[in-house]
Amino acid sequence: MKRRNFLKIIGAGGVGSGLGYLFGKANKPPTSELIPYLIPPEDIVPGVASWYSSLCTQCNAGCGIIVKTMEGRAKKIEGNPLHPVSKGKVCSRGQASLQALYNPDRIKSPLKRTGDRGKGSYEEISWDEAISILSRNLIALGEKDENDRLHFLTSLTRGSLNRLINDFMTSYGSPNHLQYELIQNKNLLFANNASMGIQTIPHYDIANTKYLLSFGADFASTWLSPVNYSSAYGQMRQGEDGIRGRLIQVEPRLSLTGANADEWVPAKPGTESILALAIAHLIVKEGHYKGADGAAWKALLSEYSPKRAASITDIAEERIHHLAKDFVKTRPSLAIGGESLARYENGVSGLVAVNILNHLAGNIGKKGGVIPNTAEPLTGKSTLESKNSIASLAQAASDSKIKTLLVYNTNPVFTTPNAMKMKESLQKIPFIASFSSFMDETTAMADLILPVHTSLEDWGDDFAEPAVGYPVATIMQPAVSPTLNTMGIGDIILSLAKGVGGKVKDKLPWNGFSDYLKDAWKDSYSKNKAMSASALTFDGFWNELLARGGWWPSERANGKAVAVSPNAVESHISKTPSHFEGNESEYPLYLTTYPHSHYLDGRGANLPWLQEMPDPMTSVVWGSWIEVNPKTAAKMGIKEGDTVTVESPYGKIKAHAYLAPGIRPDTVSMPIGQGHASYGRYAKDRGSNPIEILPFKKDANTLELALNSTRVRLSRTASSDKMVKIEGSTRELGRNIVQTISPDKFNKMNKETA
Amino acid sequence: MILKSFALYIIIGITGIITFIIGYSINDYYSTDRTPVQPIEFSHQIHAGTNEIPCKYCHIYTERSRHAGVPSVQRCMGCHSIIKTESPLIEKLTSYWETKEPIPWVKVHNLPDYVYFPHKRHIRAGLDCKLCHGDIASMDRVTRVSSLQMGWCLNCHTQRGVKNGRDCWTCHQ
Repeated sequence: MKRRNFLKIIGAGGVGSGLGYLFGKANKPPTSELIPYLIPPEDIVPGVASWYSSLCTQCNAGCGIIVKTMEGRAKKIEGNPLHPVSKGKVCSRGQASLQALYNPDRIKSPLKRTGDRGKGSYEEISWDEAISILSRNLIALGEKDENDRLHFLTSLTRGSLNRLINDFMTSYGSPNHLQYELIQNKNLLFANNASMGIQTIPHYDIANTKYLLSFGADFASTWLSPVNYSSAYGQMRQGEDGIRGRLIQVEPRLSLTGANADEWVPAKPGTESILALAIAHLIVKEGHYKGADGAAWKALLSEYSPKRAASITDIAEERIHHLAKDFVKTRPSLAIGGESLARYENGVSGLVAVNILNHLAGNIGKKGGVIPNTAEPLTGKSTLESKNSIASLAQAASDSKIKTLLVYNTNPVFTTPNAMKMKESLQKIPFIASFSSFMDETTAMADLILPVHTSLEDWGDDFAEPAVGYPVATIMQPAVSPTLNTMGIGDIILSLAKGVGGKVKDKLPWNGFSDYLKDAWKDSYSKNKAMSASALTFDGFWNELLARGGWWPSERANGKAVAVSPNAVESHISKTPSHFEGNESEYPLYLTTYPHSHYLDGRGANLPWLQEMPDPMTSVVWGSWIEVNPKTAAKMGIKEGDTVTVESPYGKIKAHAYLAPGIRPDTVSMPIGQGHASYGRYAKDRGSNPIEILPFKKDANTLELALNSTRVRLSRTASSDKMVKIEGSTRELGRNIVQTISPDKFNKMNKETA
Repeated sequence: MILKSFALYIIIGITGIITFIIGYSINDYYSTDRTPVQPIEFSHQIHAGTNEIPCKYCHIYTERSRHAGVPSVQRCMGCHSIIKTESPLIEKLTSYWETKEPIPWVKVHNLPDYVYFPHKRHIRAGLDCKLCHGDIASMDRVTRVSSLQMGWCLNCHTQRGVKNGRDCWTCHQ
């Protein structure tokens, strides 16, 4: 063999083996490491889940949840099976609260504004510095004797946190703690107090009723306590053999609840209260009401004849007769008034009308009817708020009467109409501090941002409103350790109290909110007989409380009957339909808005699970739409998915048209929740916010904003983006998917087989 | 002449292929994931063999969890703050403990995520650790003796007549 050839073979061998080695290496899976604990935590077994009972804070229903954690991380949320409100169930918003915890857009440490307000330039500071900036501001206010120029704006806080905030504000010397949320129950509380004299929301016993007359209460998606009511609805339909409770839904736009109803009564927007009073008129006129004050009722309701109501509401006279008969004859029956009824300009009057119906049919205090709740067990306070509203706060701000504003967990810049000029008013406040987990529109206006824990990391408690006929207290305990450099809201207030010193410090000497909470419960344990009877020592009681997730009596107390008197309601019932802004020729369509079943008032829009999940009625994802009746759309040449400009006298927005047969031809409807200008990568610049174009209209009694109060006009417009939805067509197209049979044919078949 | 050089290229080619296989095998044998080099040369032979420490003394979760549980650094230090503190390997261990860093052990038995394998069930069924892990007590550095392939799992499940042992959902859930 030649030397050259020998070298060639050797070379080939070398290269071959080298490549072989490398190929072998590249083909192997990367080595994984097995990292042990340095010191193993006592309560963690790797691979075995620990469940913590806690509280869901995604809406105000106060559902008890259980959180599955593995190796100290929250993995899944379920309803607490022991809890009387959630009964082991939890809705999509509750499930998605995990994504609030793990959200990449959470504020990671305290921030101080560096550039112009609202421009989003902030620098990170330490907690010590943040607390000291804020306490110095409060001390300076106190020195100038301007303590009452401090305003604290929070979401609907209840329980110990609410008490802590009130203690803080009163000891500081300011009466200005305002609870504000877009979806609140002030109108309902006011109406119930005015007509029935009860200061809490009663328990609507949907489970045991046989005839549910719902005026726009979308309890399957957002109304009051959706998880509880949805399960109660199942009970009503299938709980008793042979008897299937009936659901009648009165609303101009078919909601998810309406889609489940036996009958949809599409009354003209703003006229539902007239319809309710016409039904009341018939009950009294036909002698079904047996009370002593029958004559007074007759006089009060005399002008609501079905004939007149039919012409106002666009519901046939016979149908009103039919509704009245069924409502009063079916026992037990129940009327409820929901968010869409409460959100007209005369919202209170509609809700009062519903209470009148319940009274006249004898439903109050009965099983399957309206069961009044008692006051909160720990504080004994009613939930009826003072006569302050977000509108008066905006007014005070624009009059420069607010020096410092603290904001917690509520977003008025997003949830108030442009016509109210919330943002401009906030500009006039010299100092705004926001306690928030996310950079929402209001937080973006703040000078100082103190990021708070999410509910899975924090302590707290809550008293379900509405309760379920007996009080339900729920404990929130941390399921995981804080993941970022954040602090609990209670802890922030307590450290602030230390920073401010003086009376505030004396009033609030606690070191942490968990201690404060425990002491509050110790106090109620010693005072409440039912609580002290349930465990021998407080420690035992407390452990039981954390394990079960809260406290509620073991048996159900019967609600007392309360009466509605004609004198009390006289001033509250309305003679005319609710007013809508804009004249009919220029703005031909009524606009109604409703909280989106996933985003609620917009707070859920930053959670991608909720964005990704199709809306139950339209199947639209990642965007907003406007529901237009196909007849109206055909007249205007609008096709499904077209972008339209929605114009009211107060502004215009764009949305995709969704052709929905379940809406009156004279009405269009838009969900609330999208259209954020900030609030993280998933929410920002997506869809549009119908609140922007609403007029600034308040209910005269409660000063709450009226959301269903304007007319609009639509025009087609060019746009490149598409409406994304999963449903292809709402029609069967001859595929015979849902097979039906006429009643006649069915009866014939029955006879033949018998 | 052409024929001769053709033969030469064939030989060179064959040599290349053979050495490629040799190279691959060398990699597979010496730098294998079956017997990975660990950050500390921990010897099971000394612990489980010579000193006869039971497996569950360190792998404490075998009966309680799907994971057998790699012992925490605290557990190592429980003995080694007293025993053999002079040894260079123990000094390495101590340095991990003092810097508050966990030891990044390399996995010998690595199952993909889509396989649900609970230790708990197997141990509670009375299986010996050796059945899958081999005679660990005689290994200085741990070697994986089982393939951990699906066929291997099913073989055992079939032989022992495990209830639902051949059901997909038993292991892929």
